[in-house]
Amino acid sequence: MKKPTPMASIVRVIDLVKDYHMGTQTVHVLKGLNLSFEEGDFIALMGPSGSGKSTLLNVLGCLDRPTSGAYFLGEVNVAKMDDDQLSEVRCTYLGFIFQSYNLLPQYTVVENIELPLLYQGITLDQKTKDRCIDLAEMVGLGDRLDHRPLQLSGGQQQRVAIARSLVNDPHLILGDEPTGNLDSKTSVEIMQMLRNLNQAGKTIIMVTHENDIAEWARRVVRLRDGRVESDIRNDTRGRVG
Amino acid sequence: MPSVLQNASESLWLIVGVALVAIVVAARVLWLITVGRRVAGGVRTARAATFAKLQRSLSLAIKSLWLHKLRSFLSVLGIIIGTSSVIALMAFGEGSMQDALEDIKRQGATNIMVRSVKPSDDSLTSQKSWVTAYGLTKRDLERISTFGDAIVRIVPLRVFPSEARFRERQVNARVIGTVPDYADVQKFELASGRFLTEADDRDRKNVCILGSEIADKLFPFENPLDRGIEVRGAEFIVVGVIRERMPTGGSGGSQAAEEFNRDIYIALNTSVDFFGEVISVRTSGSRVNEKVQYNQITITVSNIDKVRPVGEAIKSLLKQEHGGKNDWVVTIPLDRLEEAERAKTRFTTLMAMIASISLLVGGIGIMNIMLATVTERTREIGIRRALGAKQKDITLQFLIEAVVQTTIGGLCGVVFGIAMVFTVPIVWEWFAPTPLPAKIHRLSIAISLVFSVVVGVVFGLYPAWRASRLDPIEALRHD
Repeated sequence: MKKPTPMASIVRVIDLVKDYHMGTQTVHVLKGLNLSFEEGDFIALMGPSGSGKSTLLNVLGCLDRPTSGAYFLGEVNVAKMDDDQLSEVRCTYLGFIFQSYNLLPQYTVVENIELPLLYQGITLDQKTKDRCIDLAEMVGLGDRLDHRPLQLSGGQQQRVAIARSLVNDPHLILGDEPTGNLDSKTSVEIMQMLRNLNQAGKTIIMVTHENDIAEWARRVVRLRDGRVESDIRNDTRGRVG
Repeated sequence: MPSVLQNASESLWLIVGVALVAIVVAARVLWLITVGRRVAGGVRTARAATFAKLQRSLSLAIKSLWLHKLRSFLSVLGIIIGTSSVIALMAFGEGSMQDALEDIKRQGATNIMVRSVKPSDDSLTSQKSWVTAYGLTKRDLERISTFGDAIVRIVPLRVFPSEARFRERQVNARVIGTVPDYADVQKFELASGRFLTEADDRDRKNVCILGSEIADKLFPFENPLDRGIEVRGAEFIVVGVIRERMPTGGSGGSQAAEEFNRDIYIALNTSVDFFGEVISVRTSGSRVNEKVQYNQITITVSNIDKVRPVGEAIKSLLKQEHGGKNDWVVTIPLDRLEEAERAKTRFTTLMAMIASISLLVGGIGIMNIMLATVTERTREIGIRRALGAKQKDITLQFLIEAVVQTTIGGLCGVVFGIAMVFTVPIVWEWFAPTPLPAKIHRLSIAISLVFSVVVGVVFGLYPAWRASRLDPIEALRHD
């Protein structure tokens, strides 16, 4: 077993509270969470529906702002940022993988991968295109560069999504039930790919409700009713291969 | 048809220009769709990045539109109809007005026309019952001549219908007895020979000048010059032929519906000598003897400012001379010119407004479609936001889509509008006796193009704004 190296805390959540207002009622979804995730870790967020796991992922993904509390992404507290700043953070530091892939149907594989770069405001040239092609090849779709999502299987689409999430070299990759729409064989392929990414140093946080999938992660955080129920390191029990 | 063709050369550069623009746009569209982006290397400056983003947005917009070809087409249909109708209606309006204006201008802004009018009341019967005498007289002419140097030229006319014969050929013509200055007033162009001279009038020579149609009908194979034709028993030698003139739009020229081509011109004094002062005219079955010394007198005034005063003076003179007899009428083209200009502006503006309404309706259609599009692409908007798009990125994307649609619609509308201006008059002439004049208003093309872009911005803004305000998380959950 490798000696655990001291890793930097890449995500720190302090007293995170998230309330939703539905008419006159207020729903307290996150009730003061305190969590810290290290760089290079692979975390699974689990819990029954209503536990707040998806909400937590949204906050971590800067898609939603907490009602109160702090969220340190690296050194910066992003909890109080405005919409434009959060958008900036998303396209610069974060990568997303969704359950239903969420590729744009009118774009090819390469164009889909390229999308986050567009919003960074950089000029798209041959260099960036090459980078996207490299990523496509890395996920095994080098021969389908001009295909559109409709022409790809679910697994292939998810692989494109993974490539897309990597194009901006993010600090953090967030996955929302990444294998939810895939069969078990393809799920294994995808999880293997994520594990490889993690082993290469990428920090991954994913929400899942399947124990099988959670076993691929190195740390499992279970939520219940907006609070942390359990927080277990998986390293020693990790799957082989 | 002729008036359209006349404008063809003028409009040709327009068509070429529009076609070039259309080709460039089409080529760019195709290139963007297939290739996808500009290959720009090198320095990454802020301005270059913004330009690249704009470029990119443009290609995104075109791609999204291309994905839904039918829907995009239907949504711009309103714009196409609006734009083409602005152009076509303004062209037809302009053409009609132009015809009327040209007609008046031809009469001369410094001219005053006095015409003899057959009175409808019984004031004639007091004279010899078998002759109806009316109209302008030598005395009137003399009196008008005393107005001095305000008057540059006086041209009296005597007109009556007659048959003209050459050998076995015969044609119905209108004989006009007049003075040489008539050629200046009417701005004749001679096809051959000469017009009347002072000598002809003074010596009462029996010479004549033929209108183009008379010359064609009586002398289809020969040269008319120096030949003799017969008019009401008298022989006239042809000394000239007038070049064919386009008929006016019948807006009431010096004589009702000028038909110069069927006229035969002889010297005024000759006409009096040969035919006397009483002319027998066949009118709808019966024969009437008319004594009209002058059917018309055209007065050219030295200066535009003097036109009205002289006109008034002539009117009061004639009122005095003719008592209560309503056998004359004074026409001042200048008045009608200004009136026609005003009417034209009114008319053109009205046409433009009417057509703009359809552009507006087209804009509402665009807004409707864009709103539906935004709803349909809610998911996509969520994805883009998640990947880092700011609200203004989304706004810009959809706004550009709307503007691209309307601009392409506008360009198509321009092409279609110009096509209509050329084809509708042709179809028109199958059914209607008079031609439909048309003159493409350069301004209308510019206006309608600008308008179509503006419509895209105005009506695309709200849907684009709506799109940008979508909550990313909600949007991602959308179907």
